[in-house]
Amino acid sequence: MDYILHLAILICIYTILAQSLSLVAGYSGQISLAQAGFYGIGAYTTALLSVNYGFPALATMPLAMLLSGLIAYIVSKVAVKTVDDYYIIITLGIQVVIFSILNNWQEVTRGPLGISGIPSFDLFGFEIDSKIVFLIVAVFFSGLIWFVLHQIASSPFGRVLRALSEDEVYTKSLGKNVGQYKIVSFTISGMFASIAGVLYANYINYIDPSSFTVDESIFILSIVIIGGMRNLKGIFFAAIFLVLLPEALRFVGMSSSISANMRQIIYGIALILVIYQMGVRKKNLTNRI
Amino acid sequence: MQLLLNILILICLYSLIGFSFKIIYSALSSFVLDIAIILSIAPYITYTLVQTYPNFIFAILVTLICCISLSIFFYFILYNPLKKLKLENWQILLSSLGVYIILQNLISIIWGDSTLSFRTWEVKTGHLILGTYITDVQIITFISCVILLFFSWLFIEKTKIGQQIKVVSSNPKLSSYYGISVNKATMCSFALGSGLAACAGILIAADTDMTPTMGFNWLLYGVVAMIIGGMGKIRYLVLGALLLATAQHLSAYYLDSKWMNATAYIILIIFLFFKPYGFSGQKLKKQEL
Repeated sequence: MDYILHLAILICIYTILAQSLSLVAGYSGQISLAQAGFYGIGAYTTALLSVNYGFPALATMPLAMLLSGLIAYIVSKVAVKTVDDYYIIITLGIQVVIFSILNNWQEVTRGPLGISGIPSFDLFGFEIDSKIVFLIVAVFFSGLIWFVLHQIASSPFGRVLRALSEDEVYTKSLGKNVGQYKIVSFTISGMFASIAGVLYANYINYIDPSSFTVDESIFILSIVIIGGMRNLKGIFFAAIFLVLLPEALRFVGMSSSISANMRQIIYGIALILVIYQMGVRKKNLTNRI
Repeated sequence: MQLLLNILILICLYSLIGFSFKIIYSALSSFVLDIAIILSIAPYITYTLVQTYPNFIFAILVTLICCISLSIFFYFILYNPLKKLKLENWQILLSSLGVYIILQNLISIIWGDSTLSFRTWEVKTGHLILGTYITDVQIITFISCVILLFFSWLFIEKTKIGQQIKVVSSNPKLSSYYGISVNKATMCSFALGSGLAACAGILIAADTDMTPTMGFNWLLYGVVAMIIGGMGKIRYLVLGALLLATAQHLSAYYLDSKWMNATAYIILIIFLFFKPYGFSGQKLKKQEL
């Protein structure tokens, strides 16, 4: 039972990550591979503040959002100068830089040893250590973010994002400041990713840089792509599918050493198939027109 | 002096990888991670062959044939159909990421995750030339990189099929009107690129052993060198490699070797921000509008 709760909490965290990435990758059409970096910034902010200075966990959340929002703002100022596959390369570069700062700046982050003893959430004096209560908190935050993202997507702001992902020049000709919209969406996405980081750090109570690698970013991006780029509900189901996949493989009777690889192979195949499907759909659409 | 020698070897490898990536990039006009797969799979094939039949020349030849046919296979089964569906560049990049994930995990399953080495000779201190120690492997790396780069330059510039590759990369539609087979030219560039990458992979593995994930990092260094150098002639690529290798070694010298990775990406980010066309100034990417 405990294990099922654990999986449910992980699903909530990945839903937050993937849905916030969908604002950048799906709505504004800029594929970013830096999501795990902001996830890591969130986790490390809360860990350092609560372990070193005794901040209560909930109070660190706004600070983590502020910090990763600031970094996301600077990063997107740089990244917005490039388009298409160069954007992927530059965000990949940013991800690697963030990871190596977490991994190598040993005076502050303690490097690969990680930070242990992160306190759990406490809510008005009650410390949340049972999984079921934490699940409720996680569901609350992921529901809140889902709601906010849905509101953003259906607002005029979201419509501009969708327009610019379809045709940037045309959107610009309508007098919209395309760069500004990209920067704002990237910043919002980074802030939400840091919430997931705060939840993760307070849940696991121990973090190390290996949870925030490029592979993690690729994993989050594949959740977004498999779920459907702009489909928040689809992304939720894709997160369930990809988080539960290793369990299913274990159920089939694969040893754990192979099942980790098998899981990656399966999502690699899924990535190719989904992209192929996108192409077929696009072709059908153009044929109809 | 030792530093200069190490920089020289790195420049050779970066240029070789960057060049092989550039050939495929110019033929397909989108980033693909094919080279990363070849870079990591080539040493493993050589390793197996050397284990069963200890003859290096034979093993390298068979590896080359395997790698070239593998990448042509992927061209026909994946990139060509995707290109025909008129998918965007980032979609092709992501599908190649899927291929990379699948193959990299296959390598992990077959050969295991641990570091392997096909060195059968014993490790020597190397020759002392001008006050620096140089090992046999480094001499071979240097000579073969220079020869390979020179001959592939000759191939592109002087032969008919090389010229066709150039024509197709600059305008595929127009070249097909002049009776040049786009398919054939692209296939040739895939073969050439992956052959060079296979050589680079074997050389790297001979020097520093192999792990399943090494291809990705090395490819990204090559890409960074290519982006810094710009899309022009091969000498700009070498210039980019020079800058990258020097900066990495200086950071390793003054800070710590663990920051080498971050340095490469910081240089990339700076270049994409301030000088997006690289040294050569040739138009390489669609700049932000």
